[in-house]
Amino acid sequence: MRTLLALALLPLPAMAGTPEVVNDHILPATDRFATAAHALADAAGADCSASALDAPYRQAFDAWMGLSHLAFGPLEQDGRALTVAFWPDPRGLVARSVRGLVADQDPVVDDPAGFAEVSIAGRGLMALEQLMADEVGDYECRYARAIATDLATIADAVQADWQDHAQLMLDAGQDGNDRYLSAREADQAIYTALLSGIEFDADQRLGRPMGSFDKPRPKLAEAWRSDRPLRNIELSLAALRDMAVALSDDPIPLTEAAFDNAQAQVAELQDDPRLEGVTDPTQRLKIEILQQRIRAIGTAIEGEIGGGLGLTAGFNSKDGD
Amino acid sequence: MRRRSFLTALMAGAVAPRLGWADAGSPAILGAAREGDGGYALFGLSDRGADLFRIPLPGRGHAAAAHPTAPEAVAFARSPGNFAIVLNCVTGQVLARLHAPQGRHFYGHGTFIADGEILCTSENAYDSGEGRIGLWSRREGWRRIAEIPTHGIGPHEIRRMPGDILVAANGGYRNHPDQPGVKLDVDLMRPNLSYVATDGALLDQIELDPELRRNSIRHIAFGQDGVVAFGMQWQGDPAEGMPLLGLHRRGQGAVLAELPIHEAMAMQGYVGSVAFDAEGRHVAISSPRGGRVQVFDGSGAHRQTIRREDVCGLAPAAGGFFVSDGLGGLVRAGQGVEALAKWPGRAWDHHLVSVEQGNRGAAL
Repeated sequence: MRTLLALALLPLPAMAGTPEVVNDHILPATDRFATAAHALADAAGADCSASALDAPYRQAFDAWMGLSHLAFGPLEQDGRALTVAFWPDPRGLVARSVRGLVADQDPVVDDPAGFAEVSIAGRGLMALEQLMADEVGDYECRYARAIATDLATIADAVQADWQDHAQLMLDAGQDGNDRYLSAREADQAIYTALLSGIEFDADQRLGRPMGSFDKPRPKLAEAWRSDRPLRNIELSLAALRDMAVALSDDPIPLTEAAFDNAQAQVAELQDDPRLEGVTDPTQRLKIEILQQRIRAIGTAIEGEIGGGLGLTAGFNSKDGD
Repeated sequence: MRRRSFLTALMAGAVAPRLGWADAGSPAILGAAREGDGGYALFGLSDRGADLFRIPLPGRGHAAAAHPTAPEAVAFARSPGNFAIVLNCVTGQVLARLHAPQGRHFYGHGTFIADGEILCTSENAYDSGEGRIGLWSRREGWRRIAEIPTHGIGPHEIRRMPGDILVAANGGYRNHPDQPGVKLDVDLMRPNLSYVATDGALLDQIELDPELRRNSIRHIAFGQDGVVAFGMQWQGDPAEGMPLLGLHRRGQGAVLAELPIHEAMAMQGYVGSVAFDAEGRHVAISSPRGGRVQVFDGSGAHRQTIRREDVCGLAPAAGGFFVSDGLGGLVRAGQGVEALAKWPGRAWDHHLVSVEQGNRGAAL
């Protein structure tokens, strides 16, 4: 009895808010994306002109940013995350795939089951953006409808599969759960996704267009044709903040302050939605400051959330050889 | 009980039999790990994932080499390594501490030749960057007796093929102990896979096509009929999704195994371990950065993706693979995934090492 009491008094790591993350963050995000993807499909069915698709496209991409950071579970099956948004794309596979289908007038766009087998670079939001950049004729219209319908199908599957995966995460460590052998594994999956999401915003969404000082690459920014490079970072930070708050049972003032700092810098850049300022020394400095502030969020998360929960970034994934 | 009194007698010096792996509990695999208290140890594990022995290590381990018959293991530090220690896996006793000679450092892997009488260690002659294999005599108290070239820059894993042919994965870039963790001369990379005789003669060597020269060849496994699998690490943009596994037979060209583009990108350009299953039919590569193991058949066709957070260690199992991760999990993956053990707090390091099947014998 005395031993038990002594054990109970040992400082234990705080409990991770995995149930809160699943129920309050992930599942609602999958609902919103499914709704928005269906709205896009309905709109494309009615009128596939670029102007008619503009608003529903933006809303679908906005909704996608609410879950694009969930790189584990249903989104990693069959490459769903990259199918929804194929980026980064250093080899230019989206343009190549879209132009290939258009050049061939490939009838696969009229067959939903067949379209689901098309290269993932030729599907999803990035392919639709590429397609809408050129003149929309009859073939492009059918292709746009195929993409939108396919997105709605994927969104439905993600929504349904997340219901099951949520249960796996909540039952982590139970007998028969071969996906999460311990509660810690479920916590770690969320924690890794959180840190990876921050890293992705800093290194990819900002780092790719920044390139180097001598060679900035604004056309490598994510969805620049749709004026989304800054907006995607803004929405990603909001989603990651929501997940961070849900994951920690304790207040996370340092992490929240770091988010505040980065989000304030996003506000400073609102006149440059495409981040084209990477080519201008003065404007570039503001973008570099944003990158530093996003990285500072990662540091705050590691100290405050990781430290509090006894989680660390990957033992092997952060090591080499 | 019997085992305990036997050990007591052994440690008291009352008997001095020739020990075998059975005396260490007949481990199927060895793995190094960080423990919950921040210390490090080498573990022997049964094919059901049970701990059979635990020997403390002075620092973070990378890989180990298991002696073919005696219950002895050499634990290597991470590259650039400052320790390699020879352990008696029955008593836990340190039999020897190996120090790389002046101008050399260990690269974290090693293997035995000459029926276990000679230990081979992968090394860097860091002033020139040329790869070396250090040869150490077990019989002579682990004295360094010679060194031979790996015929390339930056060797990582070396393994022994039947007939004491050493296969060296020459990664292609240089390292220097003054700049730990920094890859030097990446722009000049020319990685290769070399087959080296014990006298240092080059028997065979393959290089990749020029557009793949930034693919560092780092890890090796052997399958059926002389096939050598090699795992690579792409030193370019990870989003390019370059091939990370090659299959080679001497006298032929290498075949590169392709993944679906989303799985290729998810691997983050990084393979941490490679292993064949015990039958030599399927081959697996792991990426801790991608949290994935990819399984291919003997022709290099992709068969299966296994998702494990921070996964890295791979070793052959009957009909599949032992798979370990940085969260303390050990699973057996074949048709499905079977959890063998979970040790929250224990973090398995990069590699699992097989204790040769024929030498395990029955458990005590």
